[in-house]
Amino acid sequence: MTLPISPTATWDTIENVFYRKEDVYQMAWKVPDLSDYLVAVGKNGGPVALMRDERKFLLLGKHSAGKPKIQVYTSSGRLIATLSWELAPPVLLHFTQSTLVVLSDEGTYRLYDLSSPGDYSQFTLGPDVADLGVVSARAWEDGLVVLTGGLQFVEARGWKGGKVAPLALSGLTEAPLSWAITPPEQSMSGHVEVVVSTGSTVLTIDSLERIDQRLSKGPFSQIAISPNGRFSALITLSGSLWVVSSDFARNLSEVDLSKFVEAAEGTGQPDRVEWCGDNAVVVAWGGKVVMFGPGGDTLEYDYPPAVVLAGEVDGLRIISSSTCEVLQKVPDASLAVFQPGSEHPAAVLYDALDHFERKSPKADEAIRSIRPDLARAVDTCIEAAGREWDVTWQRRLLKAAQFGRAFLDLYNPGDFVAMAQTLKVLNAVRYYEIGIPITYDQYNAGSPASLITRLLTRNLHLLALRVSQHLGLRSDAVLKHWAAARIARAKSDPRDGDSNTQLCEAIVDKFEQEGEKGVSYAEIAKKAWEAGRVRLATMLLDHEPRAAEQVPLLLQMKQDKIALEKAVDSGDTDLVYHVLLRLHASLSPGDFFHLLDDSISPQLAPAVRLLQIYARENDRQLLRDFYYQDDRRTENACLEMEEGGNSSNPEERVEHLKAASKFFSEHKDRGFEAKMADDAARLLQLELQYERELEHKFIFAGLTVDDLITRLLVEGLGKRAEHVRSAWKVPDKRWWWLKLKALATTHNWDGLEIFAKSKKSPIGYEPFVTHLLALTPPQPTYAASFVARCDAKSRPDLYALCGQWGKAAESAKERNDKPKLDELKRRAPPGLPQREVEEVIRRQK
Amino acid sequence: MATTAAAGPSRLPLPAPSSSASDTTAAPQATERIGPDVGVLRELGKQALVEALNEVQGSKTLVLDPALAGPLGLVIDVASLKHHGVDKMFWLEPGPLSVQTRNVVWLCRPKRAHMLVIADQVRSSPGLQYTILCVPRVTELCRRVLEDEGVAGDVTLAEFKLELIPIEDDVLSLELDDVARDIYLRGDDTPIYYASLALTTLQRAFGRIPRVIAKGEHAKKLAALVQKNRPEVDPSEHIDSMIIIDRSVDWVTPMCTQLTYEGMLDEFIGIKNAHIEVDPQVLDPASTQTKKRKHQLASSDKLFADIRDLNFAVVGARLSKLARRLEGDFGGAKALKSVSQMKDFVGKLGGLQSEQQSLRLHTALTEKLMPITRTEEFNKTLEAQQNLVAGYDPNAQLALIEDLLCQQAPMSAVLRSAVLMSLTTGGIKPKPLEAFKRDFLQTYGYHHLPLLVALQDLGLLLKAPSPAPFVGARKPFRLIVDDVDDASPNDISYVYSGYAPLSVRLVQAATQRSALTGDAKGDVVRMEGKRPITGFKGMDDAVAALPGASSDIGGGKAHGTTLVFFLGGCTYTEISALRFMSKLGGRQYMVATSSIVNGNTLIESFGDPAPVPFQ
Repeated sequence: MTLPISPTATWDTIENVFYRKEDVYQMAWKVPDLSDYLVAVGKNGGPVALMRDERKFLLLGKHSAGKPKIQVYTSSGRLIATLSWELAPPVLLHFTQSTLVVLSDEGTYRLYDLSSPGDYSQFTLGPDVADLGVVSARAWEDGLVVLTGGLQFVEARGWKGGKVAPLALSGLTEAPLSWAITPPEQSMSGHVEVVVSTGSTVLTIDSLERIDQRLSKGPFSQIAISPNGRFSALITLSGSLWVVSSDFARNLSEVDLSKFVEAAEGTGQPDRVEWCGDNAVVVAWGGKVVMFGPGGDTLEYDYPPAVVLAGEVDGLRIISSSTCEVLQKVPDASLAVFQPGSEHPAAVLYDALDHFERKSPKADEAIRSIRPDLARAVDTCIEAAGREWDVTWQRRLLKAAQFGRAFLDLYNPGDFVAMAQTLKVLNAVRYYEIGIPITYDQYNAGSPASLITRLLTRNLHLLALRVSQHLGLRSDAVLKHWAAARIARAKSDPRDGDSNTQLCEAIVDKFEQEGEKGVSYAEIAKKAWEAGRVRLATMLLDHEPRAAEQVPLLLQMKQDKIALEKAVDSGDTDLVYHVLLRLHASLSPGDFFHLLDDSISPQLAPAVRLLQIYARENDRQLLRDFYYQDDRRTENACLEMEEGGNSSNPEERVEHLKAASKFFSEHKDRGFEAKMADDAARLLQLELQYERELEHKFIFAGLTVDDLITRLLVEGLGKRAEHVRSAWKVPDKRWWWLKLKALATTHNWDGLEIFAKSKKSPIGYEPFVTHLLALTPPQPTYAASFVARCDAKSRPDLYALCGQWGKAAESAKERNDKPKLDELKRRAPPGLPQREVEEVIRRQK
Repeated sequence: MATTAAAGPSRLPLPAPSSSASDTTAAPQATERIGPDVGVLRELGKQALVEALNEVQGSKTLVLDPALAGPLGLVIDVASLKHHGVDKMFWLEPGPLSVQTRNVVWLCRPKRAHMLVIADQVRSSPGLQYTILCVPRVTELCRRVLEDEGVAGDVTLAEFKLELIPIEDDVLSLELDDVARDIYLRGDDTPIYYASLALTTLQRAFGRIPRVIAKGEHAKKLAALVQKNRPEVDPSEHIDSMIIIDRSVDWVTPMCTQLTYEGMLDEFIGIKNAHIEVDPQVLDPASTQTKKRKHQLASSDKLFADIRDLNFAVVGARLSKLARRLEGDFGGAKALKSVSQMKDFVGKLGGLQSEQQSLRLHTALTEKLMPITRTEEFNKTLEAQQNLVAGYDPNAQLALIEDLLCQQAPMSAVLRSAVLMSLTTGGIKPKPLEAFKRDFLQTYGYHHLPLLVALQDLGLLLKAPSPAPFVGARKPFRLIVDDVDDASPNDISYVYSGYAPLSVRLVQAATQRSALTGDAKGDVVRMEGKRPITGFKGMDDAVAALPGASSDIGGGKAHGTTLVFFLGGCTYTEISALRFMSKLGGRQYMVATSSIVNGNTLIESFGDPAPVPFQ
């Protein structure tokens, strides 16, 4: 067995730190000079997009003429897609997880779906940006920052065409030499930050403020922020590389570049600065790549004529015309096992395996020597396996781990299994035909789901499905993407009918076979509809269990009534409103009401009610039209009543009340209500009339019948009060109460006496007593004067309430109510009252 | 102009949460309840708000919907808001804003009126960052209004999912206003959908509730939604069942005057979002302020926990007993002999002082209620109500109601009695009914005409003959209990001095059957707590005779706790009755409701607002 070259063969050191450069792929492409292109590279082993840079002079015949195309390659240089671009020249190409973003210098950006190169969505950054133009732009996973022609920074988040937000004023007067961003995930504030070189200093700008870092080393031709956001690398015009903490408080190193500057062609300024993980800085001049250690030591590589550097969380990808390589600091676990002379238990374990295979007794000795650390050794071997590119070394390390495990009594094999599983996936995607050179740490930094998304954008459905099943993930996303692609491919097939049913069945079968429940059919249906296959879309939608998913598509498909029914079924009133408002806007009033009119079928009744609620608040005319169409007289009348109440003009209110009365009268069972509304109108008119007659000395309008009577009585306008009483047929009882209260309020004791005697009170005389006592202040003397007219039985208590204990006792005595007398004696307050009661009792004896 | 100045938004006068914030923290009560910890929900609400606020970078001005101040105060305090960048707070009301921050955040219910005000304020203070946090979610209608107003592009719409708020260890409330009106009168099912979302969240926190029983048309709808949106989580270890009661199944109960202490406070002084307004001197005798202060009524106040569920008739005695004890305890200071005795006494002192403070508060509140219970109006109303519920001499009660009307008794008292009459006797004869309505409108104003129409639509004030399911329910549900002892009750009917709320009897029919025969005690009840609930089985006819359909989904093991959800609101008496059932030692009950209501708030919500004054 010949082992391949040792893993340490690719290692190199700078200042006692090991770095390794793995040769991953030989490029399949034919790209002579990368410097002719605008380039974007996806994170975590993502693809490479090339677009001819129109601002560079062209050698005739070197490139085809006409509008440039964007070509997307895998990291191994295989062409995945060719995209067309016919807008203004692009200033930025950027890969997100699933799309390629291209931004024009007029502020328009497109999101290309790589799995179907013809599909893209296009958004703009708004008219302000379009007017000023875009000078340059930087992007991160979830958004971008542009520098406008007005030299201000503007942020746009979410890739959905949302509103752009200006950052704090930059105060720049000329275009900066360089700038960079710290994405929200890495910044201290949790929001995006811009670092920009101006004059001799650097500004940091976020949405709230602009901070001048007050530096003197500038201007800077390049700025690069480390992957974790904590360090910055800057190149000064004078030709030195300066590494500093991101708050510019700690100087980490400063290296003179003059040696390289002089050697370089042209201006001598570096083309590119990039971080290799968070550990070292790499600078490129044309095809020359130099890695700097903190003390100024270097490692140099050559890739003529030009090179592309792509920073990753744990290293750097170097892409040249012919190769793709990964440069990184040797991971700790690999170092532990493979570093020459390592005494780490993992290294010992690894050797022990060797001895064991050669049947050497040293194996046992070695294991014995690391016994206490064996578990750690096993873990480290597993870790190290994950960091190797070569399958042979992966196997070897896992085997060592397995070997060590056998000597452990209790060991949880979870990590081992997970690593083996992960490596299987990683090796599969690293295969040159797939061309995703993702490392274990990058895989962990992203997520399995993002790797699957990546595979889907490449239309590698089977691999994606197997990967997600292998990892025990939900396969929804894969299935959805597969179905959409399937429909897109079938688009060319002109035959309808059968093929629809077949396609639908094929999709449903696959979903039921591979997916768990809960796969959304609505999205697939949408794709089908967009592909012009209405019939298929409807068939697929029927499989969708969630109404909220069905409704928007049904609306798009003009299936108005079904959409409304589904919305109602969902119980989500907001969804119903959504449909109603859309229909109200798109249909003629006639059609709109017709649709709802059909709804005498109880199914749509909730929607009709919601329409009323909406119209009541937002569109009174719509409400009136609806009531009219639907013969809803009572509702119409109540609406008039309400509007009358909202009118502060009395005449208007009278009109509303009359209208209400009319609507009520058109309903066969609302005669009473019609009369009441009419009474209301008459009352208000009468009140206005009285106001006029009395030369507006009083305000009556708005009073209730009772209040009006009371007011008239209080103001001494008894005649008019009597008139209201008879016109509104106020019953005797109520009249007596009203008059009693009015007279009491005005302390008109004579009037009260006359009133009490005018006829036999229909409410009795007790209210006279109790009401006078309830006044503030109470009027016991006057109250007592009415007790004699009350029921003999209640007189003692009433007198007592008035504080006339003697009379109370007398009246009890008259009825020979001995218990009452005793009670009074008990209750009477000491002093005169008590003596009065006792007096009466004595007399009785 | 002075008027416009006054109309503008004013600074929030007081921190939204009440003075009691300190009380609640000062005396954490050791809960004896077994069951899920509802504090999780409070934490969820707080977390959601904090996250929503942190989304907005920098300091912000918060403009708050007054209707949310109460509910919000139950989950977060002003200090935490400040901690998350809130610089100033204003009430949401018409008029321009004075903003010194870069951000404005409005926190409001998704209502059109609010959106219009906000649109105005956005236009009048241009160049800022605007965020609207809709509670509990953003609606299409809001979006539409903002679009029509032309500010949709400037405003970020986000949501703050404030759902079931624990207002007590055993009571959760959505604190939604006017739910009964929306559902039953207007046919707007939005609250039902919100309730279903909230119950989904609740199940995420506490585990799936395997059995769901519903009574009433809308309750059934809610049960179906809850079922449909059931989260995929393990079954709850505490709550084995949920019973959803539709307010429209039992209108009688809220129409009766509540006779428990807390119920009386709500009826006659008013409790809003678990807070009551009191004179400042009641909380702090040294206070010189005149403005009323809000105080949170909570069980962390031990005295209140002790008396809140009691029939008001026995509260006075309980208070004076405590007063005497405190006097003894304080007096005890003189009799202290040894140093260790003194140490003990000083240790107790803090507790004594807070007890004294709480005694002062509840004595003051009781003193306010006492005179009300002595008025003729109160007693006449109560007499009419109790006779009607018991089905005794309806004609005489009608005369009583007419008398109340003649005396211009408070409108809602009169109307509640009339509604009760209609519900308990199968409508009022056409002639007297018309006469009543005519007198009613003349006395309280014609603008109540739509209210009367609404009550008719709701089936609350009908012409005889009308169906009266209540009549048939009296017997099978043992609604009338003559011999209940208010001081040491043996049945839930003590909360209305002899009438057992039908809604709670329905819960008993499903979960504590022994109460219907009057044997709910000791071992019987404990056994019932350990068995899976019976549901309405065996009472099907009696339950079916009540309005609305019913449903019963699921099954599963018994865990001893039932969640009772009142759709359309519940009263304090119903909560007290369910607490009474929990205290029997068997099954535990947790209450959830759309909000806490009483007859007055219900009736008011069915009518139009009062007419505007004339110019």
